[in-house]
Parts: sequence; structure tokens; C-alpha cells
Amino acid sequence: MKRRIVFFLLLSIFACAVNSYAADIESRLNALEETIKQQGRTIEEQQRVISELREELKKSKQEDVVAATEKVPEEKPPTEEKSLKFTGLFGGSNLANPNISLILNTFGYTSNLKQIELNTRGIPGYYTNGDFTKNNIANTKGFNLDSAELGFYAPVDPYFNLYATIPITENGIEVEEVYFLTTSLPYGFQIKGGKFKSGFGRINGQHSHVWDFKDLPLPYRAFIAGEGIEEIGVQINYLPPLPFYTLLGFEVLQGKNAMLFGPDARSGPHAFTGFAKASFDLSDNSTLLIGQSVISGSTKTNTIADNTEFQGTSTLYDTEITYKWKPSTTQSFTLQSEYLYRDQKGDLSDSSVPGVTTVNTLKRAQDGLYVQGIYQLYRWRLGARYDLLDLFKKDYILSGNQTDFGAKPWRVSGMLEFNPTEFSRLRLQYNHDMSARDGRANDEMILQLLFAIGAHGAHPF
Amino acid sequence: MKKYLLTFLMVLLLTTPALAKVNVVATLPFIGSIAKEIGKDKIDVATLVKPSQDPHFAEAKPSMILAARKADIIMYNGLDLEIGYLPRIIESSSNPKIQPGKIGNLDCSQFVSAIEKPTSVDRSMGDVHPLGNPHYHFSPKNILKVAEGISKVLSELDASNAVFYKSNLQSFRERLITKEKQWGSRPLKGKKFVAYHRLFEYLAREFGFQIIAYVEPKPGIPPSAGYLSELVELIKRSKPNAILATEANGKKESEALGQKTGTKVIILPHDVGNPGAQDWFSLMDTIINSIS
Repeated sequence: MKRRIVFFLLLSIFACAVNSYAADIESRLNALEETIKQQGRTIEEQQRVISELREELKKSKQEDVVAATEKVPEEKPPTEEKSLKFTGLFGGSNLANPNISLILNTFGYTSNLKQIELNTRGIPGYYTNGDFTKNNIANTKGFNLDSAELGFYAPVDPYFNLYATIPITENGIEVEEVYFLTTSLPYGFQIKGGKFKSGFGRINGQHSHVWDFKDLPLPYRAFIAGEGIEEIGVQINYLPPLPFYTLLGFEVLQGKNAMLFGPDARSGPHAFTGFAKASFDLSDNSTLLIGQSVISGSTKTNTIADNTEFQGTSTLYDTEITYKWKPSTTQSFTLQSEYLYRDQKGDLSDSSVPGVTTVNTLKRAQDGLYVQGIYQLYRWRLGARYDLLDLFKKDYILSGNQTDFGAKPWRVSGMLEFNPTEFSRLRLQYNHDMSARDGRANDEMILQLLFAIGAHGAHPF
Repeated sequence: MKKYLLTFLMVLLLTTPALAKVNVVATLPFIGSIAKEIGKDKIDVATLVKPSQDPHFAEAKPSMILAARKADIIMYNGLDLEIGYLPRIIESSSNPKIQPGKIGNLDCSQFVSAIEKPTSVDRSMGDVHPLGNPHYHFSPKNILKVAEGISKVLSELDASNAVFYKSNLQSFRERLITKEKQWGSRPLKGKKFVAYHRLFEYLAREFGFQIIAYVEPKPGIPPSAGYLSELVELIKRSKPNAILATEANGKKESEALGQKTGTKVIILPHDVGNPGAQDWFSLMDTIINSIS
């Protein structure tokens, strides 16, 4: 700027010098003064504009900074969304809806026996009466639809979870299980209420689609039938904080099971269960589970033989042991066994002779056992099972006299499974069944297919 | 008798401070490792899944239920990785402290920006995780977020040690930043790999390498012969630097493929506790060193 002033000054002086001859010195000096003043004003004006512009620029920059800092929270919502996104335990796509699953259980069946023989094939001394086709005992030759099982589960609120298992069969809709489960009781207590599978024994608590074979082992068939003890009632269990896993449970049940109790045995709840289970990790790869259960109650059934009715009390004991070895994902081996013992006392009324009803005391003390092993290699599973009744005890004492029914009932089974994923299962099973005590074998072949869709929960050990 | 009772009570009193530690149950080893970095001796950590186990196929064991029964807090990976066993364990634990919605139920994925979230999903695509790729434990950026989250929750749960947790988080953060620079300087950019499972996607994104194909045709589905022969062709054509697998996940299949194509196979530790991975930092060291 100064240079410019000097330049203008020199220029003016030069101009003055050029015109010095024409005008008088006084007026020339005045003019010069005026010019300098004017130029000074111009410079001042320019400086003012410059500083004004500078300030404007500064302001706008500050505004930019403010805008930028304001933009940060604008970018935040995605991170907030992140914490809001639903990552709950119960899967991805549900906030308010219950988890719903459907499991198709279907199988093809063939046997060397005629259909009529199958439908009436009982175990003398245990049961020979009842609708075996409905009781999950007799199968139809050819194609069978076991069920399409609907499953629902969801937390009710912070205090309860709700579960429902509703198999749909060709005969209609059943309620296999529907129960609540507490989640917030202190000191390791939990209460289950509604209709549920009893905690009695090992297989009893499993749904049919997680069984290792298509059917239940003989002791279950002989003492319980159906798909196990499924009763309306309440269960309380306690998990004490011990160094090893222990679960203690107690149940009060209505007692509807057709073989053990019967709905009319007594009004009100008339079956009671107690169980204790313990588990130890023998190593990183192997686990042992043992348990003892007992169920006892009043009985009124008509399954022992045709045209009979039994009234009395029944107590069923179960001792279970499971050993699981799983060194890797690709292979595992499970050895499982249960020993069942039933004590029954009461009166058997027999009306097989028309018009005449005879009543005799009946005392039954019988037992049975199954042992099964399952070996898994990649997606294949190979299994074998041996069932036996009348193992140590075969008391059937009618009016003080022991009745002998003949050879011990037994059965041997083998199965091969292919599981394409955890949601589908193809199983081929063979049974050599000598349970009817008549010396005739029931050789059965079963091809079972299981498919699960929807949100299916985790399976227990 | 009274003397014995008194001694018993004294012993109880003396052992109480030890009981005052926060009981942390972590599903996966890396979660336990990070919790330990933050909680140090103020917490006890029990891990449910063994380091050698494939986390996809872990099963509920009664001993896990017992551990959950005694927990003050359960920390899990989330994004459905534990869906096969954890809901059952939490429910069966009869422990109100760790139920969903409680402070003792910590889904670590809530702190993470998940990638590969499918826009639509059904099971014909294999074992796809609808909430995104759950294997974020190889991602330093996300692990820092998880550590921050764990520190925050531990401070809430055990307020008297909040300062301790915060300072441990700070040293964890500093260590991670230094390490991240180290890892970032390794020659990984532009490398190409074939992987058995979608385990290394976060790592690939953060360190600029590429995973061009998977030995599994779909997540959780083992490869068929037809698919493998296609893969052999692809590997011969595009010559990846190596095939990546872990001890528990796809080792056999990957080694067979490596032999067929003359490609190097790198078996990586998939979680803390395997050889070369005492903690999360050494897990990352081993992985970055092995593949660069």
C-alpha cells in the first residue's frame, strides 16, 4: 500500500512539474494537497472494505465450524440405532411376536405281522388292553403322519416365560404342553405350571422329535406309554450352588396317565413326583449325568387286560445314567440307560364273564431296562438299543398267586441317521421285537423324516 | 461345639472378601479374555465354550447351567452365535440377575457395527446369521467398543471399582492403538485368500485384503465333490496367497484342497486359549503374523 502511495506521490509531483509553467504555484500546491487528501480517503475506504470482508469471512468460517460440530450429533443416530437394534437372545426378527416353529414328523412303516396283529399286540402281564394305535404303540403299515408340531415360546414379562407345544395330527389338535416358567425367583428356585412333560426320568422330558429312535424303549411303553408322563400340574425345582450340578424337583400332578393313574382314580391332584439329578464333567470332552426319580399316586385303569379294571396305588422308580463324549464337532458318542421299577397294589375287578364281576387283590412288582448307544460322525449317526422287561422282578400276584406269563419281553433296535442340517433328519430304523411273549417276532422297518422350520429353541443336554 | 461354630464363622468372614469379586461368565474365550483385561483381579471369569470347540456347534452342558447359576453377569457374543445353547442355559440357571433385560445379561454385539447383514434370509441359504456376521472378534475397532462396553457395565455393577475399570480400559485402549498400528503396517493390502468359513471378514475389511471364495458352499454346509472341483479350478485361475481354516473348522477339507492345488494352507487359532493365543492380543498377533 505504501509503495502505491509513494508511486502516486511521485506521479503527482511529476505532473505538477510538467504543468508548473502554466499555473501559479499557489493554486498548484492547493490542487496537489487536494489530490493527496482524496487518495488518502480512497485508501482508507479500501482498507475499511478489506477489513469488513475479512470479518465476514471469519464469521462464515466460524459458522462452518459450528455447523460441523452440529453435524456430529447428526451422524450419531446410526450408533444409537446400533444399541437399539434387536440383538436379544431369542433371535433376530422378533420384538413382540412369540417364536413360532413347526416340526413335521412323518414316517413309512413295514412289518412282517398283519395290521390286525399289530393293533392288538400288547405285553401280557403289563398291558393287553387299550387303543394301541392312539397310544403311540401300534403303527400303520405304509405312510404315517405322526404330527405337525407347532411350537411357541416367548417371555411373557420380566418374570415369566411361556411355552406351548401343540401337535396337529389327522385326528385333530392336541395340547401336548403349555406352561409358564418363572425366571426371576431368587436362591435358584424355579416354578413351572400348566401342562408339561414331567421331569421324571431322562427320555420322559424329551419331545418325540429329539428322541434318538422313532419309538420309546420297552420299559417306557410298558409302564407309561403315549409320549411319556405329560400332566397338568405344577413343578418346583431347586438348583443349589454346589461345586457340581445338582437339580432337585418336586411335582404335584393331576394324574391322568392312562397306565399309571387314570383321570378318575381320585378327584383332585393324585400324582406326585420327586427327582434329583447330578452331573459331572469328567474331562473337557466328557460329561456324566445321573438321576433318580419317583412318581407315585392313585390308580384306576383298564389297560392291564380286556374287561378289567384296576383300582389302587402305583409307584414308579427310575434310575438314569448318561455318558456323553464329544471330542469335536465331527464326532461324539452317547451311552444312555434307564432302569424302571414299578410297584402297584390294589384290586382287579374282572368282568370277562358276562354278568359276573369278580374282584381279586393284585400286586405287581415289575422292572425293565434299556441301554442305548449313539455314535455320531459328521452328519451321520449310528445307534443301537437293547430293551428288556422282567429283569429282576416279575411279580404279578393275583389273590396271593403268582401268575407266570412266559418268556421275558425284549427288543433290539438299530438305526442310521443322516442329518443334512440341524433342521432336517432322515432316519432308518429296524426293530426286532419279542415283547408279546408268544415267541413271534415283530420285525419292523421304519423310515422317518423330520423337518423343522421357524424359530426353534435350544435343546437341553 | 461353640468354638467350632465360631471358627466356622471366622472362616466365613475371612473368605467373604474373596466372594465379593464380580462373578463373570463368558460364553466364548475371547470375551473372557477382554473382561479379564478390564476387570483384572476384581473379577472371576468362567468361560463356557472351550477354546478347542467350534462355537457354532457348542451344546448346553449341566456344568454350564451351574456356572450361570453362580454368575453376577453373563457376557455373550450375540448375533445369534450362541442361539443353540445359551437361551436354555440362562433360563435353566434360575438366576434372576442374568435374565434378558437385566444388567447382568450383556450382549457384546450391541457395541459392534455388524457387517454382512442380509437383507433377506431363509435357511435354504445355509446357516446364515440374520443379524450379520457374528465373528467380530478379529476386528480391533469393534473389540475396542466391546471393551468400552464391558468397562461401562462392570463400573455400573461394581461401582466401588469404577475408577479401576476405567484405568484398565485406558491402558487396554493405548495398547490396542499401538498394536493396531503395528498390524496395519504388515503387508496385507491386496492379498487374496480362500477361507473355509466366513470367519475373517472383519479382518479383511480392516486390513485391506480379500477373501475370494469359501470352501463351504454355504455357511455350515460341508462342500460336495462337485463344488470342490469348481473351487479347484477357481484356485488355479486366481492363485490366492493361501487357504485359511481353523483347527476346529474345516482343517481337513482345506488341507485336502491345498494339496490338490498346491496352495499354502494356514491353520489359524479361532479363539483365545489355543496355541499361540494366550490372550486376545497374542491371538491377533498370531493371526496377522501367519497371514502376512
